[in-house]
Amino acid sequence: MRLLQKNIVPIVFIVLCTIGFHYSGLSWMFFANDLMTRLARNSFLVISLIIPVLAGMGLNFGIVLGAMAGQFAAFITVVYNLTGITGFFLACVLSIPFAVLFGWLTGILFNKAKGKEMITGLILGFFANGLYQLVCLIFIGWIIPISNKALLLPSGIGFVNTLDLKIWQYAIDKFYVFKLKGITTPLLKYLNNINFPVLTLIIVALLCTAVYLLFRTKLGQDFRAVGQNRHIAEVAGIKVDRVRIIAVIFSTVLAAWGQLIFLQNIGNVQVYGSHVQVGTFAVAALLIGGASVSKATIGQALLGTVLFHALFIVSPLAGKNIMGSAQVGEYFRVFVAYGVIGIALALHAWQRLTKKE
Amino acid sequence: MRRFTRVLFAVALVLALGTVAFAAPKIGIMTGTVSQGEEEYRAGEEMVAKYGADRVIHVTYPDKFMDEQETTISQVMAMASDPEVKAIVICQGVPGTAAAIDKVREVRDDILFLIGTVHEEPYMMAGKADLLFEIDQPARGTSIVEKAKEMGAKTFIHYSFPRHMSYPLLAKRREIMEETCKKIGLEFVFVNAPDPTGEGGVAGSQQFILEDAPRQVEKYGPDTAFFSTNCSMQEPLIKSVVKTKAIYPEQCCPSPFHALPNALGLKVENKGDVPYILKAIEEKVAELGMQGRIATWTAPITMNFIRAGAEYAMDFANGKFEDKKDIQRAKFTLEKVAGAIRIRAFDDEKAPNFLMVVGESIIFGKK
Repeated sequence: MRLLQKNIVPIVFIVLCTIGFHYSGLSWMFFANDLMTRLARNSFLVISLIIPVLAGMGLNFGIVLGAMAGQFAAFITVVYNLTGITGFFLACVLSIPFAVLFGWLTGILFNKAKGKEMITGLILGFFANGLYQLVCLIFIGWIIPISNKALLLPSGIGFVNTLDLKIWQYAIDKFYVFKLKGITTPLLKYLNNINFPVLTLIIVALLCTAVYLLFRTKLGQDFRAVGQNRHIAEVAGIKVDRVRIIAVIFSTVLAAWGQLIFLQNIGNVQVYGSHVQVGTFAVAALLIGGASVSKATIGQALLGTVLFHALFIVSPLAGKNIMGSAQVGEYFRVFVAYGVIGIALALHAWQRLTKKE
Repeated sequence: MRRFTRVLFAVALVLALGTVAFAAPKIGIMTGTVSQGEEEYRAGEEMVAKYGADRVIHVTYPDKFMDEQETTISQVMAMASDPEVKAIVICQGVPGTAAAIDKVREVRDDILFLIGTVHEEPYMMAGKADLLFEIDQPARGTSIVEKAKEMGAKTFIHYSFPRHMSYPLLAKRREIMEETCKKIGLEFVFVNAPDPTGEGGVAGSQQFILEDAPRQVEKYGPDTAFFSTNCSMQEPLIKSVVKTKAIYPEQCCPSPFHALPNALGLKVENKGDVPYILKAIEEKVAELGMQGRIATWTAPITMNFIRAGAEYAMDFANGKFEDKKDIQRAKFTLEKVAGAIRIRAFDDEKAPNFLMVVGESIIFGKK
């Protein structure tokens, strides 16, 4: 019973996904491959949320700024035509200065708004989006010269709304693709014919290990100490504000890389839209995995990514088939997907209450 | 006896092959829901009714298509995962369409893609999809302004927001409008409205239009023509125009069914009956004393994109022709459903498969 109560959110989602999958009429192979692709392109972003959670800053909606940093780096590689896997990793390197700067500024702001980091981060995302549009739509081609006119709007000022990233699409996803074949063991046979993007998965695994190891270093312990109680940490001689800023910078840099991994899979960048949803979706995925605003693990991040995207794959068609109309399917999907995220938050509150009792 | 068995075997074989070969090919149609644009969705339904639910798969892209591109991609992928689907029509081609086409092409390169109303960069899209239908936005840059002048406008107000101004065709149209205004002596005013996909949502931008349009009339007088680039703003805009006796030359997506009936309080039972709706609007406009102040196109253009697109796609799926980019056939199909329209290629050399359309105009109550 305790176990059930503790994991109620993921359990609700597993049940929903199973029902949804049944009604969607999708083939297992399509579902599994789509899920694998989505897991590979999103898990990095979700994991980037863990450090601020453990440092007591709640869910960092500010990763939108990290995504912007990643996109700025992507634009540079497009302008200078840096191709292939080198282009991709160069983009990762180029994103660091942007992300560190944005993370540092976000950190300073969060320190001024202690205890309200989540709402601050959310609004900061909107504000940053305005600045981002100003840069991409007005400064590009006017203050910042771009030699390749094909990337600009007809007036020569501002990026066009979609930039093709063919130059490094699948740089890491298709570096080595592994496909299982001919397995006959009853349960494992469902793994046949799924394309595993090996390098991407290795990178995600490396990140998981790095985060795990980080919390065993002095800095990691500082994060935890600050997360548990700011005042005690302060008394113990930890520079709380500095540690918090470092946590946000880590998160922002990781989000920038996560966004680049996302983009190299999608293959083009919506200059004015790709980053907008990053914060809310990553946060939703983490919550669904059973994390809360004060506690999150790598396992929860990965499980959450799987469940969130599984629901998004099956729900449109399940909705359509259950309701018998394409658009009711869409409304149903929105209702279920966002409704359960709301429920997830409510269930967390309920869990906390029962714990107190 | 042996001969009989052989004949029987041959017949069985022919039948078996026949069922495989004639397993009815399907097409997929992806539209928005009614909250984004009712016309496309209804046209999609119409196609399901016309060809049968076993031949047409109709799905929708998310209302928040800017935020949920992954859902758009998955929806298109799910259609393509059905081996009988031979062609997919997407209208409107919201952001995410380019990525979706790429993903499908990786697994199946036999599928025909036909896109109506292209949101993403035109040259890139022309390289990805087989055929594209779009309203001729640059040509409308001159035609709308000239029509506004004909209707008596002295000022031309253009409502839009940065995200739309990042669409190359819309940005170009705005420039052309500004030039044309200068040339024929109208004052061009660009007014920035809130983005309906932003924090305020559709309600926020609608409210802005309801409040701002009367303000502008107060400033520039009733001989002001109003134009907005966004679908959800049309209804409040028409209401404000009627209230202030201003001028409304055309919707963003010109059609007698788009926003006009709702804004004027008309009941539409059949979304395909063009003569009926034209007459109803004409009467209502006269009743409101707005003769010569409201105009649109006679043909619902995005509905026709879907109708023509579905017909072209179905013919392709049925094996009536092989060349996916049969431009002559596409033009012919579009003319067949839409009537008097002008079609030209976006770029004859680099994007001949990107077809742009201008329809016929009607000014209601004009003597």
